[in-house]
Amino acid sequence: MADQSEPNVIAVTMKAVNKWYDDFHVLKDIDFQVADGEKVVVCGPSGSGKSTLIRCICKLEDHQKGTINVLGTELNDNVANIDEIRREVGMVFQQFNLFPHMTVLENCTLALTLVRKKSRKEAEAIAMQFLEKVRIPEQSTKYPGELSGGQQQRVAIARSLCMNPKILLFDEPTSALDPEMISEVLDVMVALAEEGMTMVCVTHEMGFARRVADRVIFMDAGEIVEQNTPFEFFENPTNERTKLFLSQILQH
Amino acid sequence: MTEASIALPPQTPFSQRIKKSLFATPLDCLLTLICAFFFTYIIYLFVDWAFLSSIWRADDEPLCKEAGGACWSVIDARHRIIFFGLFPFEEHWRSTLACAVMIVTFIASCVPWFWTTMKLSALWIAGFATFYILMHGGLFGLSVITPERWGGLALTLFIFAAVSIIGMPLSIVLALGRRSKLPVIAKMFGLFIDFFRSLPLLTILFTAAVITPFVLPGWLQGDKLYRVIVGFAIFFAAYQAENIRAGLQAIPSGQDEAGLTLGLNYMQRVTRIQLPQAFRNSLPAVVNQFVITFKETSIVTIVGFFEILASGSAAFGTGQWTVHYIEVYVFIGAIYFVFVFSLSRYGAYLERKLRVGHG
Ligand SMILES: Nc1ncnc2c1ncn2[C@@H]1O[C@H](COP(=O)(O)OP(=O)(O)OP(=O)(O)O)[C@@H](O)[C@H]1O
Ligand SMILES: [Mg+2]
Repeated sequence: MADQSEPNVIAVTMKAVNKWYDDFHVLKDIDFQVADGEKVVVCGPSGSGKSTLIRCICKLEDHQKGTINVLGTELNDNVANIDEIRREVGMVFQQFNLFPHMTVLENCTLALTLVRKKSRKEAEAIAMQFLEKVRIPEQSTKYPGELSGGQQQRVAIARSLCMNPKILLFDEPTSALDPEMISEVLDVMVALAEEGMTMVCVTHEMGFARRVADRVIFMDAGEIVEQNTPFEFFENPTNERTKLFLSQILQH
Repeated sequence: MTEASIALPPQTPFSQRIKKSLFATPLDCLLTLICAFFFTYIIYLFVDWAFLSSIWRADDEPLCKEAGGACWSVIDARHRIIFFGLFPFEEHWRSTLACAVMIVTFIASCVPWFWTTMKLSALWIAGFATFYILMHGGLFGLSVITPERWGGLALTLFIFAAVSIIGMPLSIVLALGRRSKLPVIAKMFGLFIDFFRSLPLLTILFTAAVITPFVLPGWLQGDKLYRVIVGFAIFFAAYQAENIRAGLQAIPSGQDEAGLTLGLNYMQRVTRIQLPQAFRNSLPAVVNQFVITFKETSIVTIVGFFEILASGSAAFGTGQWTVHYIEVYVFIGAIYFVFVFSLSRYGAYLERKLRVGHG
């Protein structure tokens, strides 16, 4: 497992990764690295394979060619490896995916008790600590259906944090939210970034990318077309497709 | 608290709502009055028949013809046959206790406190064991009474309970199997479910009762009653599996993915995330299947068991009682009603309870 103190330890490495849905080629020769503590923002047009890329990192999708190495463990068909990786990698979804039949607190403690084998009391203490961090401890006894979208997404982030993940993946965490709720979620993500969490984040929030990303990656049609620091990426894009994409999303 | 959440929405008074929906126009008034009269009359006829002009004591049977109402004498005289079938007369107390044990076990398993695999298993093992010792005997100085002589309410409850307890876990396994990611497994379970769903229950019960003894080795046969119950349970499970599968199908795939990324294994995802939501989604259909099954227990008469309906037929089958079959059927209908209605109400209660937090 990666040692925290060494600088530039690699958290994720993808080498020549290819993936097909039946005969549709979604990921084409992806080479991609994330260093420990790095924050990477992935953007690109709809259907370009961004979700597929980060879902491969926590093995929600299988890849057919190439190698993916996460925290020093190769993702192959070895089930023990996959279980170990999934425990160390958290994921936040566009649709929150909170468990609707459990309270906010139960959502957070479920994996702590089942996977981390904490006692109920310990688990609740940890959960409350992270609910405070995302600033909704007072909602802990409510059900997800009783919360606003922004609150639900913050609970989802807290739920991931409870597992103390080494890497946190975000798949368009704010695109299902009403505009006035986007910033409360982004604030939480910025705070996490500032604490040094390793993050891979698919988002079209360019303000967020400028503020926290170490690197921005642009994908189109299953390929990584361009990657650069946020400043260079936004000010001097080199690829035509990047320029077109940026002109489209920055119009609004 | 905001002001809006304190202020109640404006409510129309009851009298006004009645007026609006029933007496808005002269035609409405007329229809309402005709219906009201009609229903009152029907209810009056029934009450008169069942209570006002009825005869209650067994010895008063000769008065029945003149009284014109229900002749409950037949129940007074023959209720033991209805409740106990061919069970030996001196041992009826055992059957009564056994019924009570079954009912208490049913009620207890409806209480959320028991809803863990451990507690439910313990409860039902204890329930069935007590029932079996009481009915079958052979222990604690109780005389042995073999299942051929069980009958009436105790048999109906036993068959229903056993079919549910075997069938429910089986249906979950079948539903999960049919959704397996491995095509071979999914196909096999699918074939199994569809095979048993396309056979009439009668065929399955006949096969279990009459044909399996020729096929199975002696040590595997068990008593005819148990073979019939297993056949019935497979039939029940095939249907219930499809209800549960529908409930599973309705869960967004993101739920399972969230479980995966939290590191939960298959069993944990199934028991903590999928099944609770699947049950909530399919509750009306699941309860409906229990209701149907309770009533279908009467089919076992065909293979020679005297469950409550067959015992009822026996009750009015002799001498002076043959004319009073209506009273017996009404009585048995009332018994079925008590159980099935409680089941439906419990289902409705569960639906309300599980809707918590789902708006
Ligand atoms: N399970 C699947 N089966 C077949 N095709 C799929 C599947 N999932 C995704 N695809 C296809 O793969 C392509 C990439 O999908 P992906 O979800 O990774 O895109 P995305 O970049 O995340 O897009 P968006 O911005 O809309 O979320 C799309 O064309 C999509 O239609
Ligand atoms: Mg996507």
